[in-house]
Amino acid sequence: MLQLLVGQTLNGVIVGTLYGIIALGVTLTFGITGIVNFALGEFMMIGAYVTWYLFDVAGLPYPVAIWPAVAVAAGCGFAADQLLFRFTRNNLINGLLVSIGLISIIEAAALLLWTTTPKDMGYVLSGAVRLGGMSLPKMKLVVFALLAAVMFLTYAALSRTWIGRAAYAFSQNPEAAMLMGVRTQVLQSTVVVYSTALAGFGGALYATLYSLEPSMGGLYILKGVEAAILGGIGSLIGSLAGGIILGVTEAVGSIYLPSAFRDAYGLIFVVAILLYQPSGLFGAER
Amino acid sequence: MKALLWVPFLVFPALVQSNFILSIFIFSFILAIAAVSFNLIFGFTGQLSMFHAAAFGIAAYITSLTASFFHVSFWLALLPAIGFTILISLIIGSICFNFQLRAFYFAVVTLAFSELARLVILNWNSVTNGTLGLMVLDKPFVWAPGAGLIKIDGVFGWYFFSLAALIFTVAVCSLVLGSWIGRCFAAIRLNEDLAQTLGIDTFRYKLLSFTLANTLAAIAGSLYAFYTGYIEPNYLGINQSLDIISMVLLGGRSSILGPIAGAFVLTGLPHMIDLSGEARAILYGLVLILTILILPQGLIGTLASWRRAA
Amino acid sequence: MLLDVIELSKRFGGLSALSDVSLSIAAGEIVGIFGPNGSGKTTLINLVAGIIAPSAGRILWKAGEIQGQRPHAIAAAGVVKTFQNPQLFLELSIYDNVAIASHLRLQRQFGLSRLTELLPWRDTSQRVQVADAIDRVVALCRLEGVRDRTAASLSYGQEKMLGVAMAMMCEPELLLLDEPASGLGEDETRTLEEVLRDLRDCGTTLCVIDHKVDFLARIADRAIALQQGSVIAEGAPGKVLRHPRVVEAYLGRQHARA
Repeated sequence: MLQLLVGQTLNGVIVGTLYGIIALGVTLTFGITGIVNFALGEFMMIGAYVTWYLFDVAGLPYPVAIWPAVAVAAGCGFAADQLLFRFTRNNLINGLLVSIGLISIIEAAALLLWTTTPKDMGYVLSGAVRLGGMSLPKMKLVVFALLAAVMFLTYAALSRTWIGRAAYAFSQNPEAAMLMGVRTQVLQSTVVVYSTALAGFGGALYATLYSLEPSMGGLYILKGVEAAILGGIGSLIGSLAGGIILGVTEAVGSIYLPSAFRDAYGLIFVVAILLYQPSGLFGAER
Repeated sequence: MKALLWVPFLVFPALVQSNFILSIFIFSFILAIAAVSFNLIFGFTGQLSMFHAAAFGIAAYITSLTASFFHVSFWLALLPAIGFTILISLIIGSICFNFQLRAFYFAVVTLAFSELARLVILNWNSVTNGTLGLMVLDKPFVWAPGAGLIKIDGVFGWYFFSLAALIFTVAVCSLVLGSWIGRCFAAIRLNEDLAQTLGIDTFRYKLLSFTLANTLAAIAGSLYAFYTGYIEPNYLGINQSLDIISMVLLGGRSSILGPIAGAFVLTGLPHMIDLSGEARAILYGLVLILTILILPQGLIGTLASWRRAA
Repeated sequence: MLLDVIELSKRFGGLSALSDVSLSIAAGEIVGIFGPNGSGKTTLINLVAGIIAPSAGRILWKAGEIQGQRPHAIAAAGVVKTFQNPQLFLELSIYDNVAIASHLRLQRQFGLSRLTELLPWRDTSQRVQVADAIDRVVALCRLEGVRDRTAASLSYGQEKMLGVAMAMMCEPELLLLDEPASGLGEDETRTLEEVLRDLRDCGTTLCVIDHKVDFLARIADRAIALQQGSVIAEGAPGKVLRHPRVVEAYLGRQHARA
């Protein structure tokens, strides 16, 4: 039993980092552009499918295949920003609705290109690591390490570089930042594109573990938003923490309670947090 | 005066012989009820509720199950559906509004409850038959003076039945919104803090708006179930919520009738233009985006402002 | 005493905005509260109106405790405040703004029978009575000329008047005015003074917070000076303004000694 618990917890942590990378995108976008980009799940899907295509169909080595995938996701993100999100800055409802329209379009396009038949990517890294009495697939550990690394690097970059400090200043006081010379338009677009790139990267890694369907984005953006709220919108470390907590809650919850309701456990937890600690576990109320 | 707007709808079936077109109208009427009622809480009170489709779907299930299980008429079966909707609205609304959740969080919490409801219905196979859905074989009966009990079956019957329901919904909304209650909703939408200091109990009125909107949606859901003869868990899905939101946005959220236009366009268009499912979804996404960016007041709203400017 | 504030304190994190403030307001008087920025004036008003809850102390309204109650309940009890930065329903006309504010009046005058407004064959007599009241308040606040314009199109002075009009529509027994004269020119300030005196003559008790001391001196029966969250002087306006501690707070130590 203990083995099951530990195993599920570890699984939850790994899935949690996937939630976390989306949550990071959500939190960054909200902090700098004032909207929640619900279409981030679709950018994750784009990254996943392009990776699959390049690795499985075109035969490129996996480490090479990731980068064009991320680039495509980021490119689409840039297009979305210039055509759509540029006009909905700080307008939560409009941003929400526009991103929902975008979801319809992207998902339909994916259906046309790749159909609903799930695509399974071939093994990138096979084999497992033995920990105690359990075996954990190596690829899962790699995914975890890469995602966590990217999130920490993002955090470090934001707290140490000029761009990071400009972004922080902007999120605190947009007008002052503008008067100080921060190129706010560029900053906002950069953040949108970066968060779609993060989602694409998450998708590229997702493809190594699970089968791909055009509808995968919808589930992950929901989890990403939940994780962002849990961790506190505005807190970068909170995104990772929130994601992991959500992943573990779902995984462990499924042991003791019907797994059909797995998605519900995270939801209930999030609702409870929102009611008692609206700023999330790590965040400050915006 | 505005009653004149309904006259064309009353004579329409006499002019058009196509059952296909009439059935599009029926769907439009029923979904218009959902859209108009959603606008109560969204357009007029300013709260983005993602629970509307859940109210729609839950009532569909309760009405259908009650009718077939207990062998009662549509009207009797409607009662527990409405009762439950009121109860669940009061509970969820109290939770949300008591904690004074700001706009975005209210949307998220109502979404969470909506998803929970959908999961329950999806997995409660013994009662709801899960993903397979349920067939609804009963039909409503209406007592008409002179003709006795008529069964609402077939396109003509449903056309007038659903039109009557829509007129009822619009009448209720007009009365409420035209009264001091409507002013309270507007106050909450425009400046909630100010409304509080002027003595308006914003908790009570938000709860009222939410409950009333959901109750009308429950009626729409029940009608939909009995008309299509089939219900499934996706009625409570996010996509259904989004459809309703799109109808309101497209038609215009500052009027009672606006959402009706949106319902007609979004229900009718996919049937008019023969498109594959994916192409339809792309069109739908484009319509939503263009409406937000170019026509923020919706079709009716934009027309109304042109008229004012002229 | 209409309003009794007893040892009221409010802390925001480590900052003490108000410390053990006690004061009373009697029916029919105009009390002026003044002090430099940061002295706790707005915090005091927000505490009384229920916008925030105190850290310690009590607020008695007609001998009943009201501290910590929600703003709408306190408004219903007869205490209404205006906002320093005018809070309005910008999309609506002046008339509609005041009409919304008639909510409490409707409730008091008609109780549950106002539900008859929902019936299809509506009884419009209630509306007519309230409409009269709206007209009176609009006239009182010198806003008849602009009653059909949207609130967003008003000048700053008119916005402030509208704030007062809406508060008056609630039939308050005690009206709390948060810096009503700030940002107003000479003429507008005089108009404001006339309106406030008219209000008092109609039976409303006023508590005015401002830092325009000459305005306060002209209008208040009694003045209370605040500094850094505490009361430093109280009494007739002229006397309070010459009180050494007050002079020191406003003008600095040198002038106080001189």
